[in-house]
Amino acid sequence: MNVQFKKGVLELCVLVLLDQKAQYGYELAQNISNQIEISEGAVYPLLRRLTKDGLATTYLQESSEGPPRKYYKLTPSGSGHLQELLKEWQMFTNGVNQLIEGKEL
Amino acid sequence: MGKDQFLFRLKKALKSFPVEEQNDILNDYEEYFSNGVKDGKTEEEIAASLGSPEQLGKELTAMHHVENVEGRNTTSNFFRALWAVIGLGFFNLVIVLGPFLALASIIIAGWIVSITFVLAPVGVLINTVLYPEIFAAYNMFFSIGLTGLGLLIGISMYYVTIWIKNKFIQYFKFNVRMVKGGMNHV
Repeated sequence: MNVQFKKGVLELCVLVLLDQKAQYGYELAQNISNQIEISEGAVYPLLRRLTKDGLATTYLQESSEGPPRKYYKLTPSGSGHLQELLKEWQMFTNGVNQLIEGKEL
Repeated sequence: MGKDQFLFRLKKALKSFPVEEQNDILNDYEEYFSNGVKDGKTEEEIAASLGSPEQLGKELTAMHHVENVEGRNTTSNFFRALWAVIGLGFFNLVIVLGPFLALASIIIAGWIVSITFVLAPVGVLINTVLYPEIFAAYNMFFSIGLTGLGLLIGISMYYVTIWIKNKFIQYFKFNVRMVKGGMNHV
């Protein structure tokens, strides 16, 4: 799949996953790329932007193997943003599905 | 391409960042490599899954410039953001540069009209100096009227220019967030 606007969906995926639990970048990228074909490198720029916009915060946590990892978690305003995106996403997919099924025609 | 080469190329692509932020970004990708290696992948596989370091650098740079112009809305910051966003890929050349050139020409046209109207009496004066015999008072009054109109257009153009510039900044932000910048997979 090669869609210009896939990047917008990536933001939704990252927010959904972070809403479930705090994760470090690699874990997050693996969880997404298990489901959708993405360029894993794009997850970090997105995480940086979410952090700068105050939608996510980071903290360091020791790991049993190797150096401490940078974990990302959602802030309250991040959760609010997620709810908005989810609503938009549902409206959008409902519309598309209805068109596909021909109900609106 | 191994880890060192990936990081080296990424660093080169991040030269417009402050050093501190550069290191921050490079650390993130280093962490990514060490996690991947622990996961049993080779450095080459990890680098391939990350995509091109140059494209990543472009994307991060575009984001950086858009943030800058949001923080300090100066003309030079605006143009830096404009070029960085356009540089993301061919798709953006069309959907960013196209509207920009169209709106920029409208703005320039508006300013030229305003300046020409304001300077209309100068034209009448020059004409009077060159050909005193055809001086007509109504030309003078009409041109002074145009000056007033030109000033009004100028004031409106000032606000229109600021408004359009701010809309463009919002559009850059949307573009960097939503639109694929020539990356292979996202």
